[in-house]
Amino acid sequence: MMTDVVAPVARLSARGLTRHFTTRVPGRILAAKRVTRAVEDVSLDLVAGRVTAVVGESGSGKSVLARMLARIVTPTSGELFLEGNAIALRARRTLDYAAQVQLVLQDPFASMNPVHPVRHSLERPLLIHGAHKAEVDELARSVLARVALDPPDRFLDRYPHELSGGQLQRVSIARALCVQPSVLLADEPISMLDVSVRLGILNLLKGLADHERLAILYITHDIASARYLADETIVMYAGQVVERSPGTVLIDEPAHPYTQLLIASVPDPSGAARVDRGAGESRPFVRAEEGCAFALRCPHATSRCRHECPPAFVIGEGHVSRCWLHADQAPASSDLATPGRQREGEATKT
Amino acid sequence: MSTSRVDVGDRLERHGATPARESTPSARAFVLEVSDLSVHYGVDANMVRAVHDVTLNVRRSTVLGVAGESGSGKSTLVYALTRLLRAPGVISGGQAILNVSSPDDPTQVTPVNLTTASERELRRVRWSHVSIVLQSALNALNPVRRIGREFDEVLRTHRRSLSRSDRRRRAAELLALVGLEPDRLDRFPHELSGGQRQRTMIALALALDPELVVMDEPTTALDVVTQREIITELAELRSRFGFAMIFITHDLSLLVELADEIVVMYAGSIVERANAGELYAAPRHPYTLGLLESFPPLHGERRELTGIAGSPPDLAAESVGCSFAPRCPFAMDRCRAESPPLAPLGDTGRSVACWLHTEHSVVPVPAPLARRWTVPSGPAAPGVSR
Repeated sequence: MMTDVVAPVARLSARGLTRHFTTRVPGRILAAKRVTRAVEDVSLDLVAGRVTAVVGESGSGKSVLARMLARIVTPTSGELFLEGNAIALRARRTLDYAAQVQLVLQDPFASMNPVHPVRHSLERPLLIHGAHKAEVDELARSVLARVALDPPDRFLDRYPHELSGGQLQRVSIARALCVQPSVLLADEPISMLDVSVRLGILNLLKGLADHERLAILYITHDIASARYLADETIVMYAGQVVERSPGTVLIDEPAHPYTQLLIASVPDPSGAARVDRGAGESRPFVRAEEGCAFALRCPHATSRCRHECPPAFVIGEGHVSRCWLHADQAPASSDLATPGRQREGEATKT
Repeated sequence: MSTSRVDVGDRLERHGATPARESTPSARAFVLEVSDLSVHYGVDANMVRAVHDVTLNVRRSTVLGVAGESGSGKSTLVYALTRLLRAPGVISGGQAILNVSSPDDPTQVTPVNLTTASERELRRVRWSHVSIVLQSALNALNPVRRIGREFDEVLRTHRRSLSRSDRRRRAAELLALVGLEPDRLDRFPHELSGGQRQRTMIALALALDPELVVMDEPTTALDVVTQREIITELAELRSRFGFAMIFITHDLSLLVELADEIVVMYAGSIVERANAGELYAAPRHPYTLGLLESFPPLHGERRELTGIAGSPPDLAAESVGCSFAPRCPFAMDRCRAESPPLAPLGDTGRSVACWLHTEHSVVPVPAPLARRWTVPSGPAAPGVSR
């Protein structure tokens, strides 16, 4: 993938995506609304043939990000570009957008209609997107073959409860592939599956990126699986991108204290060296009103961290960390260039 | 972790000088002895054999890890041996003996057969001697009760002499053990985060200082950072109170770190049993090897992994031969015809249920399973057979 000579093309680009949820403070009916900043100023490029991994704990905003990219959730602010064209975010999602960007959800049991056989779930999107009745059967079969459910006849007329979790997640991916999307958003696709079938799904996603040139967003809380797949890795904490790097640089050499904590927490039977862990009871949902979101849990926090939100600093080739520890490095001007210019920029980088 | 086992062994040896009336050596060494335990769900044609002839022992003050995927019978196993199994689940054979030691004299051990015990006997040993932490703390805690009431109920039922204020003080102590503030006692479960709820469950399980704590996937629903904090806390609590633990999870790499001994279950049977370090360094069953290869590593070269082909077996279907044979890359004709027994592997102290490793095996052991095939010299690992 990395040796590919073809210039990478950003299929879907996000610039400064932000989503705030406003909730009433319990017990106070008037005024006093609380704003949950679920996603704050996230920019990314999903490039054909590459897997972009977003790693974060629950509550880090990674699923809201995926839903914004799929245009199920409307961003509070920010821009989306599909194939370089700006998308009108206030307008309804068009059928064309849905045909280009497809979402695969975490729980395959909950995301398939239990009263219809697999055939129904596959043919419905085909018909909605204008396939002829005569050809849907053939298309459904071919898409099942693409996700290695062979022979298709064995699966087309089965009901979701007759399939295992791994098989059903393949059907779920097949359903997303029906409309020939160029971008696949996979939100925790393996976390509900049995250990022994997880790798099969990961290898399937990898194959779709490598051989079918799909741009894939892989969202996970499992940093080891991100390492297995990723061409670019992004770590999110409390709605913000705290560290990003090409490939898996940030996993091999984590710079941000949160990434270090995350990696140190992964069970590692090989007993390789551990980094210092943050102390104290975790407060995943507590976020300081000002300053760095991670300051409350960070072992290196200084008074500056508690009062000033750090910008992103460039600490290596494409490797960016949002932490005052790297204040001696050059600040990243803006996260990424705007998509118009960005294609050339991306091409020279790789 | 293995050092703690040696320490305990020494202590037992010393105490062994004055054997108590009812105590056999094995009863003093093992807090739980399970033999040939089988569990069925349903009857006749619809019967599902969820657990099949499971034999295992838990040494005092050690951690036994049970690894397996969903449907491997690991949760059914602990529900059966704690007698929490509900119909249509039926214990169809075997027994589970809990060796209850008296609080005054640790050498005085009374065996309690958990599989046949009356409700009255069960009430006496539950919580005081064996307690359980369930996977979903949100479902295990009553949503309309404050946390404090859960503690109060346990203490009121099992420690009748405690006054109301004593119970409250003890509950606050227990929360402090797991790093929670006493004001949490007045909260409802939904006001706590997932990690705090699971900590509350652990504090509850330790309320009466049990000898054995069963943990059924206690960290599966938690984030990796919270999981790490809880695992660290558990290790500290164990070194302080010395309880033994059965830890169930599908995450084999977590078990390798945490457990002293590991049993791997597949389709209701134990397929391999070994010391944690040896299991990781040299898996002997093809399924164990596959499981270990299913976790992408965090270090080293990025290479393609294949995992295990196929999908987990359907327990309701009649099967002949080894249940792993359809997914096994090394399967032979014999595997498809005959089910391998769990047999000791030489004198390594470990056991494996696989035809590749029988004593008179004429088949060469495949290379991936032959890593460190020779028995390491030096003191043999303390195995289950004495």
